[in-house]
Amino acid sequence: MHVVVCIKQILDPELPPADFRLDSKAEQAAAASAAQVISIFDENALEVALQARDNAGGGKITAISIGQPSAIDALRKALSMRVDEAYLLPQDNYPQLDAQATARILAAAVRKLDPVDVVLCGREAGDWHGGLVAGFLAAELDRAYTSLVASCTIERDKLRLRRQTEDGWEIVESATPAVISVTNDGGNLPRIPKVKDNMLAFRKQIPAWQADALGVNAQGVEGANGALEKKGLYIPKVERNCEMIDGENSTEKAQRLVNKLAALQVI
Amino acid sequence: MKNVLAVLIPNGSSFRRTEIEVLSAAKRIADELGGAMSATILGSVDPSWNQSCASYGASVVYRVASEALSSYQNDLYTAALQQIQSVAHADLILLPSTTYGMEIVPVFAYRIGASATMDCVGLKGDPSDGSVTITKPVYGGKANSELLAKSGPVVIAMRMRSVVPATAAGERDCNIVDVPLALGATKARTKIVERLSEDTGATKLEDARVIVSGGRGLGGPEAFADLTALAGMLGGTIGASRAACDQGWVPASLQIGQTGKKVAPDLYLAIGISGASQHMVGIAGARHIVAINKDAKAPIFQMAACGVVDDFRSFLPQFTAALREYKAKNQGSTSGQ
Repeated sequence: MHVVVCIKQILDPELPPADFRLDSKAEQAAAASAAQVISIFDENALEVALQARDNAGGGKITAISIGQPSAIDALRKALSMRVDEAYLLPQDNYPQLDAQATARILAAAVRKLDPVDVVLCGREAGDWHGGLVAGFLAAELDRAYTSLVASCTIERDKLRLRRQTEDGWEIVESATPAVISVTNDGGNLPRIPKVKDNMLAFRKQIPAWQADALGVNAQGVEGANGALEKKGLYIPKVERNCEMIDGENSTEKAQRLVNKLAALQVI
Repeated sequence: MKNVLAVLIPNGSSFRRTEIEVLSAAKRIADELGGAMSATILGSVDPSWNQSCASYGASVVYRVASEALSSYQNDLYTAALQQIQSVAHADLILLPSTTYGMEIVPVFAYRIGASATMDCVGLKGDPSDGSVTITKPVYGGKANSELLAKSGPVVIAMRMRSVVPATAAGERDCNIVDVPLALGATKARTKIVERLSEDTGATKLEDARVIVSGGRGLGGPEAFADLTALAGMLGGTIGASRAACDQGWVPASLQIGQTGKKVAPDLYLAIGISGASQHMVGIAGARHIVAINKDAKAPIFQMAACGVVDDFRSFLPQFTAALREYKAKNQGSTSGQ
């Protein structure tokens, strides 16, 4: 069993709104004091892969990331969570990196890693929330695709997936090889690496696979989303004046809130 | 761009607000561009759906009749949509950001060489050059991104509850075009073997008029029983923040926010929810947000219409009691008339 998890390093999305700024050209978030972390849903994807390996009683997990040299830290974290191998796909190779290009580069890496039973991606990146790469990757590789998966069991020649819908859950059986996108769930909270595993992760090599090694034409990898012109990025203004309901004690506040809701005609 | 195609993916037999939103958004952008709106329904539903599409402004309905589409399967649905598009030649293709919509959009777009955007909250057409500006929240709702599409095809998943539903016109003529499908060569590589509904019988979150929602501040699953009772009194239903769902206090189907449900109630009562932006984007459509939080600095108060700074443990019993008294008095006066 071979599982590949695609991860992206992003600015910590938990940065409070009050500290959130755009860069001077308003093209992206200002790095400021925010830490670089593994995109939240990609961490869920790592956890789903690790649980699938635990349940299967063995197998290999490889993490790959398109990113700046700092993405080594994200891959290192994946190794300390006990992923077996990690590869960096240096972003600087590619002048135009839209969602299709991202999928094509990841697909080239997956083909190099084949045979791969299942590729996992987070449902969307925690910064741009594109939500396209996993599906694009499935289309590029022409493999079965299931989105919004919370857990994955690998059976002999198929996957058993639990995936979220508007009304609850579906159990989906997927042929392999497959691509799945992972959503967050109480059952796939990322594990905290052990100190010993952190130490071991630091000794591991994280090779970089350049465009040549992947057989990707770095200049011509851009897809249709490259034609979408970035017209603007802005912080929406919220102009709400919150009316604070005061009172001597909870009883008084509660009564006043009921009065207020009655006035708003919502109770 | 001129031709807009609305793609409906029924989930059950009822024509929901989700369908109305996709049709409404498609009709509006088609009108702005001086173009025409068509629609197609992936799945088997009552023929009256065609008329419903027409009454929301579709001038053409592409009809597919195939046993293979009787229930959702992504390989088959995606192949069917490709074949419909080869007849419709739409410039702009709109789907809902539902589980199925989000599964189809990227694969379909990639195959037809289209650009794609998920989770779109706004579309603006420029009739002079046929371009469309797409608005989409980014950075967990802390910023909005605007993308300019100058030419099609563009495939867009509309965020649910971000579109003001149009009012249906009465009976309208529309042209029904039968699209013959050839799905023999398409392999269904996934199979839904079980559906586990978490439908509690309560109103669906997306349709609820009142939502009582709890977050990390509740400290555990127990308090959700009190929230459920309160929601019952208000004729509403309960929801939760991602933190509460990730803790396993309530099922993930109750999650409201960026990656959960998008809701648009008249009253949203947020209890012990700090107001992380990824949560706030889920309640942008709420009419009145009322926050109860013991931290006066919680960001939720910046978005709320009114707020109470208090510990929910002491506040909630008092509030429930006051509400019960109000209800009793109100019903009493009504029955006395």
